[in-house]
Amino acid sequence: MTHRLKIFTSISALTCSLLLLLATTTPVQAQKIFRLEKDSIPLFRGFQVSFDLVGPARLMLGDRGEYQAALRINLHDQWFPIFEAGIGRANHEDDEVTGLTYKTTAPFFRIGMDFNILRNKHQSNRFFVGFRYAFTSYKVDIIRESLPDPVWKSSTQFGVRDMGCSQHWLEAVAGIDAKIFGPLHLGWTVRYKRRIAHNDGTIGGVWYVPGFGISDNDNLDANFNVIIDI
Amino acid sequence: MGAFAACTSIDCPLNHSVYHTYLMKKPDGTPDTLLNDSLWILTRRADDTLTVVLNGLSGTSASWFDLPTSYMAPEDTFFVYLKDKEGNIMPDTIWVKKENYPHFESVDCQPSYFHHITGVRVAGNIIDSIVIINPNTTYDTSIEDFHIYFSPDL
Repeated sequence: MTHRLKIFTSISALTCSLLLLLATTTPVQAQKIFRLEKDSIPLFRGFQVSFDLVGPARLMLGDRGEYQAALRINLHDQWFPIFEAGIGRANHEDDEVTGLTYKTTAPFFRIGMDFNILRNKHQSNRFFVGFRYAFTSYKVDIIRESLPDPVWKSSTQFGVRDMGCSQHWLEAVAGIDAKIFGPLHLGWTVRYKRRIAHNDGTIGGVWYVPGFGISDNDNLDANFNVIIDI
Repeated sequence: MGAFAACTSIDCPLNHSVYHTYLMKKPDGTPDTLLNDSLWILTRRADDTLTVVLNGLSGTSASWFDLPTSYMAPEDTFFVYLKDKEGNIMPDTIWVKKENYPHFESVDCQPSYFHHITGVRVAGNIIDSIVIINPNTTYDTSIEDFHIYFSPDL
């Protein structure tokens, strides 16, 4: 917990420092970054669709992961309102230590904005920061078929099926987007996720939250995106 | 990817069995001790054999004890035997009625059951009464769950 608090504090301090730096020491540069540049480029520059490769790789190699895609609007190569949707899945069967099985498959949704912070906004590569609000509502099975009582030596089936849960969280996002050829871009996104509200059902807690990852107050995550201009 | 997957850590609780803590009290509410007496408590397992859950507690510092709680039985029965310094053995029985709730932390942590105590009664041979202090019990053993009052005639 202390380690996570340090990460959160460091990120918060870094963000505040950057904003203060922009606001106080270089106001002209800050205005250049955040204002809409006046040039001959039109406001609406099209759409981008993207899909992530890390989540499917996690699903192939492990017992949990996500399929997710995004639709992003390009406003003047500076502002990118974005809607993301995906399916998160965990299928952890008969844990070798605890014997627990954890299953869930559910959609998740995010909405937010990316900002291209490069000085030359209209070049084909981008470096952006952004934020997301995210939500998921899911049902989970948590089962252990035979749980022996260590004193009474009786055996019982532990768990619940179709336990309804939900979670809201915020994400701070940073990423790069490099043009490969034609409409094809590739890019990395790093996300810091912070839980703001959650319903963990009736038996104490949950393990995997679709779109968020392992249940905790916060999480770090990364995506590798294939992006296509349309 | 592994680095990001490894960023979350789960601290599993040390105890995954729920134990109830009984504090021995005198009628005036001050702590009681066993002095020269010794206390044994047994319970009956599912296979009908008896097992010792408290083994010969004695001494002037013995003012409390912990008893385990079954995962799913609606009522736990404990057979109490108190041996005095002359070697006389005095029996009693405790019945603890409860509701049981499954508790989950993570797939990496052992599952457990938490309980809501709905009643406690005794046969009344050597135990005068037991009072429920904490009806909602977890694996936190730092909380006192019952006050047990032995008969003042002992």
